[in-house]
Amino acid sequence: MRLWQLTVLFNWPLRLINKDEMPSTLTEADISNGVKAIAEQIGQCQPDGDFVLVGVRSRGDEVAARILELLSQKGIEVPMGLLDISLYRDDLAHLNSNPKLQGSELPFPVDKAHIILVDDVLFTGRTVRAAIDAIMDYGRPAKIELAVLIDRGHRELPFAPSYVGIHLETQRLDYVDVKLKDTDGVDLVEVTKKNEV
Amino acid sequence: MTRKDLLDIESLRREEIEHLLDQAAPFKELFTRSVKKVPALKGKSVLTLFYEPSTRTLSSFEVAAKRLSADVTTFDVAQSSVAKGETVRDTIATLQAMRTDYIIVRNQMAGIPLAIARATKASVINAGDGAHSHPTQALLDGFTFKEVFPEPAGKKLLIIGDILHSRVARSTSTLMRKLGVEVAWLGPGSLVPKHGPSEIKRFTNYEEAMKWSPDAIYLLRIQMERQSAPFFPSLREYTKLYGITQERFKRIADQGTYIMHPGPVNRGVELCDEVMEYQRCLIDQQVENGIAARMAVLYWLKPNTGENVRPIEEEPN
Amino acid sequence: MTSLLIKNARIASEDNDDLLPADVLVENGIITKIGNDIEAESATRVIDGSGKILSPAMFDTHIHMREPGQEAKETIKTGTEAAINGGVTGVVLMPNTSPAIDSAAMVRTIYEIAERDSRIPVYTSGCITKEREGKELAGIDGMLQLGVKMLTDDGDAVPDMMLLKRAMEYASEFDCFFASHCEVLELSGPRALNEGKVSYKLGIQGTPACSEEICMDRDIRLAHATGARLHIQHVSSKIGMETIRWWKQMGAKVTAEVSPHHLLFNEEDIGNYDTHYKMNPPLRTAEDNVALLQGLKEGVFDIIATDHAPHTSFEKEQDFVSAPNGITGLETAVVSLFHHYINKGEFGWGLLVNRYSAEPRRMMGLDPVAIVEGGRAEFILFDPKGETTFSPDFMCSKSENTPFLNKTLDGSIDLVVVGDDILLQR
Repeated sequence: MRLWQLTVLFNWPLRLINKDEMPSTLTEADISNGVKAIAEQIGQCQPDGDFVLVGVRSRGDEVAARILELLSQKGIEVPMGLLDISLYRDDLAHLNSNPKLQGSELPFPVDKAHIILVDDVLFTGRTVRAAIDAIMDYGRPAKIELAVLIDRGHRELPFAPSYVGIHLETQRLDYVDVKLKDTDGVDLVEVTKKNEV
Repeated sequence: MTRKDLLDIESLRREEIEHLLDQAAPFKELFTRSVKKVPALKGKSVLTLFYEPSTRTLSSFEVAAKRLSADVTTFDVAQSSVAKGETVRDTIATLQAMRTDYIIVRNQMAGIPLAIARATKASVINAGDGAHSHPTQALLDGFTFKEVFPEPAGKKLLIIGDILHSRVARSTSTLMRKLGVEVAWLGPGSLVPKHGPSEIKRFTNYEEAMKWSPDAIYLLRIQMERQSAPFFPSLREYTKLYGITQERFKRIADQGTYIMHPGPVNRGVELCDEVMEYQRCLIDQQVENGIAARMAVLYWLKPNTGENVRPIEEEPN
Repeated sequence: MTSLLIKNARIASEDNDDLLPADVLVENGIITKIGNDIEAESATRVIDGSGKILSPAMFDTHIHMREPGQEAKETIKTGTEAAINGGVTGVVLMPNTSPAIDSAAMVRTIYEIAERDSRIPVYTSGCITKEREGKELAGIDGMLQLGVKMLTDDGDAVPDMMLLKRAMEYASEFDCFFASHCEVLELSGPRALNEGKVSYKLGIQGTPACSEEICMDRDIRLAHATGARLHIQHVSSKIGMETIRWWKQMGAKVTAEVSPHHLLFNEEDIGNYDTHYKMNPPLRTAEDNVALLQGLKEGVFDIIATDHAPHTSFEKEQDFVSAPNGITGLETAVVSLFHHYINKGEFGWGLLVNRYSAEPRRMMGLDPVAIVEGGRAEFILFDPKGETTFSPDFMCSKSENTPFLNKTLDGSIDLVVVGDDILLQR
């Protein structure tokens, strides 16, 4: 799904930050607006609340919790799960030490569920691949959708998000550092240009 | 925080032990899924090298490795030239040539896993060497103990049986001590080592040991077959003095003391049948936790067999 | 006429820690003059000994040369070169070769090999029992006729007390003595390390010190009862040392040796299964180290002997239980004892010369090689300011199984002279 299609579909003033005006940081307000945008989109598309949110650890879980809160204000009450995709990463063999497991908690049957995966940043798509594989090992969902706070482009796998908070234009080698309050104590996104590293 | 090999408990730092025990829990959680397998070690090869027969530990490791999607090969020691006098060093050379990623080794001789670890790039896991160490047993025991006592420091563990020949007693005692658990040993004087760590209490009398009020009792398997010179007159006498008989079990059940055992049990020797039905008997839980603990170990170790190893990143953003 | 002049050295002598500054002139292998300001023109070779110590050369009564049978570990040729490299100019071989040295024929074979391959005198001990099996007496008379003085089944004790008693009674007719490796096999277990903290930690059944002490006491009692002369080999424990002290006070004809490794190391050095610290008797405790040094100073130990026991790297790199017992010692003894004791003032050159040069020779019925006018030249020149790195290149032994491997210690043996010959000069 193309960006313009999304905009048309949801009739929502999507935040698009283009190259010329691209800031090197996103503030608490930017992040908050991004989360609101996702909640609005989900609320519009799934008003009956017949779905579950699954936050990808770490930070995807915090984004999911914020969306859950906003949906609840709209009267949409859904269950939420947490997914640790560490065991499904495709780069474990290349790491000096394996990431610490935080565990998954999916307090609902995955079979036949409509799952909206939530993550903080969508980049290569490899995390999404891992997350989908992980979910499939819990059962056979009816449908999986993807919601991301930030889509920074440069996909390496054929995934397109269903709900996006912020589109961020970046270079392939830029590093996007997301900090969220519950995990990191502050809401802040910083983009480090490759030549600054 | 990672290591190439897991050879003993002694050399693990407390943080490493806590880390491994914490990591066992998410692995155990996987066992409730319909698909119990995860792809973490896909494409990795695990070789089991058991010089001593052991169905339980070998199976536990195999299940753990397979649930991590590793390919498991059993190096049949009895069928190989090892039995025909090939030295351990020559076997090691063979293993190195096989380019396996993990080697899980059990040997009747203390120090063999270390010798293999020094000579190979593969991660070596000690699955029991002589009377030296059995680190994964200690980890599964620690994990089980923590499930019952989330704050283990200050709790009391009494280990009963043949401490002298037991690598389980050594490793589990060391691990429990590192978690702040108070440890005591009970057994015939001939089977309780004089030279162990001084902070471990020693009892040779059952009643006195029970007055110490242990929170959990760890029974060891009594093995007559291991003894060239007799360490006690008869199994009957052992059971009378140190076994959990029906009468003793009643008191244990009244006090709510937990029971652990590394398996396999000798019913009627170190414990009576009733113990196996006891609600606070953790033996089955230990078996299940063994798989989770061993998965945590396999996931934690990093062999030197990889080529393009780069520093860890939390997630590719 | 060949002559050698050592200028300005300080001369060591047994039981005298004062070093005598002097020049020493050697002519035709005999020390002809000791004095100040000997004219350099009077000698064909002059060596400057300034700052160095001229000591009688050492003599080691406990050596495993492995030939015949295990020539991959050591031969009489490489072993005697190792001895020279360590300032040792006479050795007594242990009989646990393959076949064992238990007959006149075997003794003759050893002498023939030594005659061909060695630059220093080689003596051998002979077995008490045939093939060291502890069952029948070896050919004692035939060996003694060829000059054997020491009878031992070293490597093992003689388990059968009646057999040992009879051997002692039988040999009373001859000019010989017995040497005992002390061990009660039933108590020893796998003979890997001391029973104690470290054996617990490493999970290997230990050998208790009483295994050695009981056998030691047993053998001395038998010797005392039969009138035999007895030498106790490689004592490793405090109570062992005290046992010997007590028996000496009782008037028993007993002598004893201590090895450098039992003085210098203890079980803690094994660390994580380091087989360079595996020997039999095993290293004991720090408390035993202290007692053994005390025993050496007080004369409970008459001699120092290394129990030079070469093994190939391959054998030693096995797991701890499978790896063979023993370490090499010939090349490291003098330098390591200097480094750890003489240099730190624990004892002086007088003690070293007495225990590692004079007494071992006397025990074997030989004259000591004191540096005196009219004496035969057999000495080493030792540089206390030098240092020695025990690299594989440095060592002449075929084997490298020493804890000192690649370590650098204070002191250096710069010159070894026997008679007319300079056997080594650095």
